[in-house]
Amino acid sequence: MTVKHHPDIATLSAFAFGTLDKGRSFVVAAHVHKCKRCAALVRRFEEAGGVLLEDLEPEALSPASGDIILGRVLSADEEVSAPIEVGEAKPPAELQIRDVLSNYQDGPWRWIGPGVYVRPLSDAPRGEARLFLLKAAPGTSLPEHSHSGTELTLVLQGAFSHSAGLFEAGDLEEADDTVEHQPVVEDGAVCICLVAMDGQLKLSGFFGRLMQPFVRI
Amino acid sequence: MPMAYAAVLTWPNTKTRRLLPMSDNKTANLSQLIERVAATQDRHAFMLLFGYFGPRIKAFMKRSGADDAFAEELAQETMLTVWRKAQTFDSSRANASTWIFTIARNLRIDGLRREKLHANAQSQLEVMEEDVERPDQIYNVIERANHLRTALEQLSPEQLTLVRLSYFEDKPHPEIARTLNIPLGTVKSRLRRTVMMLREILEDLR
Repeated sequence: MTVKHHPDIATLSAFAFGTLDKGRSFVVAAHVHKCKRCAALVRRFEEAGGVLLEDLEPEALSPASGDIILGRVLSADEEVSAPIEVGEAKPPAELQIRDVLSNYQDGPWRWIGPGVYVRPLSDAPRGEARLFLLKAAPGTSLPEHSHSGTELTLVLQGAFSHSAGLFEAGDLEEADDTVEHQPVVEDGAVCICLVAMDGQLKLSGFFGRLMQPFVRI
Repeated sequence: MPMAYAAVLTWPNTKTRRLLPMSDNKTANLSQLIERVAATQDRHAFMLLFGYFGPRIKAFMKRSGADDAFAEELAQETMLTVWRKAQTFDSSRANASTWIFTIARNLRIDGLRREKLHANAQSQLEVMEEDVERPDQIYNVIERANHLRTALEQLSPEQLTLVRLSYFEDKPHPEIARTLNIPLGTVKSRLRRTVMMLREILEDLR
């Protein structure tokens, strides 16, 4: 499987520098996990971050800081000697993303339209992207729509296509308010996507406007 | 250990117009210091790292919006993580400043946004790094650091400032517009052009 659609370079660099919001970071992280090209590029941005860090005008630390860090290092040593694995400090956090990606079919799905279900994943702070999973049956034609904000969609399983091409597992679509599209799910497999979206989905056409009241993503 | 701490004051600390000249020696030394911490929990080596990176991490945190005390606390946290995770550092895959930047970045996200997410994402990245570069593809990290430095010089001073403000210091676009005294739309279009160029520069390094 070759990933063909990638995040915008501005989105990828914001992810690497740590300035992307939570929902989008999640989607980009999942893409990067599957995409060697983007993983390598993230590494390059991080290297640039290292250079920028070194070149910052240093801010003097308080006179006591050397003693404080030594004290903390000494107590950290005591922790290490305890029979607890502290080498990997973040397994629970690491599991979280895996859980989301591997157990997504277990949760309750909410019906939002013929053949289409969503499952919200997190409560985003105001102004940040909401994260949800979207599941659509093979052959489903999603209503033509645009967005009042931006949308990142990562295909986890199955495939869909619209005017911008075919999107398969690992592909990431980035759409903003200038994009209007009508995705069609490919035959054969249920399509499941991880989506980060801010703003509102705007459905077009007569049928879309009829459905709009029922679509609360 | 006060003597060790004083020793860091002799570390080269020259300021230049834009980017500091980076000697092969310094890059190598910083990596070796982390390796010494990993191998023998060498506190002297750690305090040298603390003296060099601590004030820079503090500056990074302050520029990202932390007040003085919190920036200092985050610098301490970052360096404590360096101490604890030194064994996961691999000098054949990353140089010292890249590695420490990713730690500081994750703590900045956790600390300033109270969000853990990106750190999760990062641990995912660490897990998959094995796949990204096989041992036979490992390049000379020191040489690459120098190439990167030269490459970044291709950006104009204004472009470098834009990258710093937007991506490094996480300043919102309207604030950048005020700082640089240019219209908001111009910030967006210039930033876009700059990032495209940065991408080309970085890809050339592959």
